[in-house]
Amino acid sequence: MEQKEMKHLYWRAGFGINPKELEFLSTKSREDIIDMLFYESQNTLPLKIDTHEFDTLTQEQFKKTDKIQREYIEKSRNKIKELNHAWVERVLNSHSVLQEKMTLFWSNHFACQNGMILYVQKFHNTIREHALGSFKELVKAISREPAMIEYLDLKQNRNDKPNENFARELMELFTLGVGNYTEEDIKEAAKAFTGYNHDFEGHFVFNENHHNTQFKYVFGKAGRYEGDDIIDIILEQEACAEFICKKLYRYFVNDALNKEHLKEMTQVFYPDYNIETVLRYMFAQDWFYNPKHIGNKIKSPIELIAGISNTIPLSFKDTKQLVAVERMLGQILFFPPNVAGWKGGKSWIDSNTLMLRLKLPSMLLSKATIANNKKGEFYDSFQTYTKEKVANNFFKTTSNWRVFNSNYQQVSTKDLAQYLLQCPINKGTLNYLETLRINNKQDYCLQLMSLPEYQMC
Amino acid sequence: MLTTNVFARISNVLIMDRRKFIKHSSLASSLFFVPSFVKAFSSYITAETGYKRLVILQLSGGNDGLNTIVPFRNDEYYRARPTLALKKEDVMALDTDLGMHKSLLPLKKLYDKGFVSIINNVGYPNPNRSHFRATDIWQTASSSNQYLQSGWIGRYVDQFATAPYTALELDHSLSLALKGETQNGLAVQNAHTFYKITQDPYLKNIASYQEEAHLSEHNLGYLYKTMIDAESSAKYIYETSKTVSTSVNYPNNSFSKQLKTTAQFINSGLKTRVYYGSLNGFDTHVHQENTHKKLLKTYAEGIHAFVKDLQSKDTFNDTLILTFSEFGRRVKQNSGHGTDHGSANALFVIGGNLKKPGIYNNLASLSDLDDNGDLKFEIDFRTIYATVLNKWLDVNHEAVLFKNYKQLDFI
Repeated sequence: MEQKEMKHLYWRAGFGINPKELEFLSTKSREDIIDMLFYESQNTLPLKIDTHEFDTLTQEQFKKTDKIQREYIEKSRNKIKELNHAWVERVLNSHSVLQEKMTLFWSNHFACQNGMILYVQKFHNTIREHALGSFKELVKAISREPAMIEYLDLKQNRNDKPNENFARELMELFTLGVGNYTEEDIKEAAKAFTGYNHDFEGHFVFNENHHNTQFKYVFGKAGRYEGDDIIDIILEQEACAEFICKKLYRYFVNDALNKEHLKEMTQVFYPDYNIETVLRYMFAQDWFYNPKHIGNKIKSPIELIAGISNTIPLSFKDTKQLVAVERMLGQILFFPPNVAGWKGGKSWIDSNTLMLRLKLPSMLLSKATIANNKKGEFYDSFQTYTKEKVANNFFKTTSNWRVFNSNYQQVSTKDLAQYLLQCPINKGTLNYLETLRINNKQDYCLQLMSLPEYQMC
Repeated sequence: MLTTNVFARISNVLIMDRRKFIKHSSLASSLFFVPSFVKAFSSYITAETGYKRLVILQLSGGNDGLNTIVPFRNDEYYRARPTLALKKEDVMALDTDLGMHKSLLPLKKLYDKGFVSIINNVGYPNPNRSHFRATDIWQTASSSNQYLQSGWIGRYVDQFATAPYTALELDHSLSLALKGETQNGLAVQNAHTFYKITQDPYLKNIASYQEEAHLSEHNLGYLYKTMIDAESSAKYIYETSKTVSTSVNYPNNSFSKQLKTTAQFINSGLKTRVYYGSLNGFDTHVHQENTHKKLLKTYAEGIHAFVKDLQSKDTFNDTLILTFSEFGRRVKQNSGHGTDHGSANALFVIGGNLKKPGIYNNLASLSDLDDNGDLKFEIDFRTIYATVLNKWLDVNHEAVLFKNYKQLDFI
C-alpha cells in the first residue's frame, strides 16, 4: 500500500500515523492493513472511573435532604468531568484507534446528556460495546439506556399520556432522517415504547402497567408491537441504511456526498446492519483513496488533540483545564449541544476557535510561543533549547518529545511536512516559510502544527 | 446624505490605504499583500448617527418572571407562593396590577422615563423545560420540535453582514445564537486580549502572505479567510474602541463589565449591529429569595449605568436592548422555597424611542395554567425577533427566521 494512502487511512480511521509505523507497514497490502485495523480494534474494554460513592447509593440516601441531593449532583458533575478526562486519555493512548473513532461517531449520533455519572458511564460503555458490531443491537440497547430514557422523556411516555419525543428523534435523527416517515408513524411508534423506565441504580425497567398493548399501525404494518419490534420495522426500511451510510460517508470520506458510492455502501449495510462490514467495504474501495478526499476534512477538536499527541505523546494533568480547552474549542465530551449532536466540518470553526486551534500545539507543547526567526537572524539553538526545558508549558500537560525524536529520526527536517500535513501547503504560506530559518526539527514541527493546513485531515 | 456618506467612506479608504502602504512598505517585502476583502471593512471609522444597534441580554437559568414583574394584587399569586411571594411593600407599582421587584429600582427609573417596555407571556407552543433545549430554541428561533444548528443572529450575519464583527458576543466563546450557516459572529470578552491573541508574529505573518485569489471556497480557504478576518477584526475592534473612555461608574461584576465593554464599542462608533451578553445564575430551585434579589440588582444597576454611558455619547436613541430568559418559572413555589422550570415569561425592551413604553400587554391568568402549572404563552418570541429584524435592523425577517411572522408595535 502506498504511503500516501496509508496516511489517509490512518487519519480517517484513526488519529494519524508516524514514520516508524509507516515504515513497518510499508510492505503490507491494503487488505492486510485493513485486517490489522479491525484486529486491533477488537478491544471493547469498558471505560470506568472510580464511582464507589455512587455504586452503593440508594435513592433514599440520595434524596434524604435537598442539601444532600445537591451535593451528590455536584459530585456527579465532577465525576462526569473525570470520565471525560479518562476518555480523552483513552483516545490518546489506545491502539484500538478505529474503535475510538467509532465510539466518538456514535456518541455524536446518539447525542445524549445526563447528570448522573453512573448513567453516563453506562451509556458510554454500551456505545463502546456495539461500536463496530450490529447497528440493530446498538439502537435497541440505546433505547434501554437510563440516560436516553431521561433525555428524550421516555419516562413520561405512558399509555394514558404518550410522549413522542423519543419516537420522533429515533426516526428523525437516529435511524431514518426527515422525509422517510410520517407524523402518524411517530404517534404509533411512541405507543410501543410506553412503559420504558429505569431504576435508580440504572437498570432498565419495563413497566407493564404503563404499556400500551393495543394494535399499532406503522409503515403500513399492524400488530401489538413493542419497542424492539418498532426498531426492527424501521430497519426494514432501506432508507435507514442509507441514512446511516450518508453519515458514515461524511464522517470518513467527504462532506460532499457521492451518490454512487453511497448506494454501494447502502447495499452492503442493508439488511444486516453490520457496522464492521460496511466500514471494511468503504476502506477497501479505490474511491476512498481518491486524492480529492485526502486532506480535505476539518478535524474535530478531539481529532486535533489526538493527532498532536500521536506525534508528540501528551498527557493532560488537570481535568478542569482539559474541560476548559474543550469548551473553548467547542466540543465538551458528554455535552453535545443538543440531540442533533455536533454538526462538524466548517461549523467547528469561528474566529475564536480557529485562533485557539492555531495556538494550541504551542500552548500544549512549548509555553505558547511559535518560533519565527528570519533567515540570517542570530539564533542560539542550544540556549533556547535549555530555556524551553525549564520553562513551564502553558497548560499542565506532559509531552514526550523523546518519542517524537525517535519516531522521526529517519525523517529530515525539510521532509517533516509530508508526514505531518495531509494537504499541500498554501502558496503564500510556503513563501513565508521559506523566509524562515529552520532552527531544529522540534521548532519546525510546531510551526507546521500551527498552520491552518494542520487543521485538515 | 447618501452620496456624502459614500464619498466619506471612499476617501477614508484611500487615506487608510496610503497610510498602510507607507507603513507596510517600509518593513515588508514586496510579497506583502493585503487581500481586498480585508481592506473593504478595516478602513473606515466614522461615528455615523442613525446607526442602529441591538443589544441582546440573556438571563440564563430561567428568570422567575412572576417575582420580577409582580402581580401584587392577585390572590392566586399569594396562594401559590406562601413564602416566596413578594409583600406589597416590597413591590414598586407600575400600574394597578403589576409592580417591579424592589431590587429593580434603577430599572424603574428608566421605566418612569418611558425607556422600558414590558412584554408579558412571551413563549412558544409546546414549551421545553430543559435549560439546554430551551436556550437552543430561543437562540436558533426554532419550534420546540425542530432542531436547527444555526442561530438567528448567525443567520442574520449570513444574510446581511458586511464585516465579521457585525455581531459580537461579550464572552470568550461563541453561543449558538451567533453561529450562522456559512458565517459566524465574533466572541470578544476583552478587545485587548482578543487583539493580543491574533498578534502572534508567526500567525500574523502567515496571514499577511496570503493572496485572496489563492484562497478557495473549500475548507482550507475557509480557514485562511477566518484567520485573516480574525486578525483584522481584532485590530479594528481594539484600535477603534481604545479611542473612547467612560466617566460612568459601573458596578464591579462580570455582567457590568460586559455592558461597559459594549458601551465602549458602541460609543467608539464600531460598526457592529448586534451585541450579545448574558447574566447567569437564575436557576433558583432552592432558597430563591436572596439569590434572586441579588441577581435582579446586578441586572438593574448594570443596565442603568449602561444607559447613562450611552446617553453621555448620544448613542442611546440608536440602541435597543432586549432582555430575555430561556423560560419563566412555575407559578407554584416548590418545597425548597424555590421555583421549578416553567414556560412563558416577561421580556424587556429598553430604548429611547419606544412606541409603547410601559406594560405592553396584560399578564396571563394565574388560574388558567397549562398542564404543568405554568403560565400560558400569548406572544411567540419569534414575533419579537421579526419585529426587531424588520423595524430596527431594517431587514426582511423571513430570510432569517424562514417564516413570515406577525410584527408587533413596541418599536
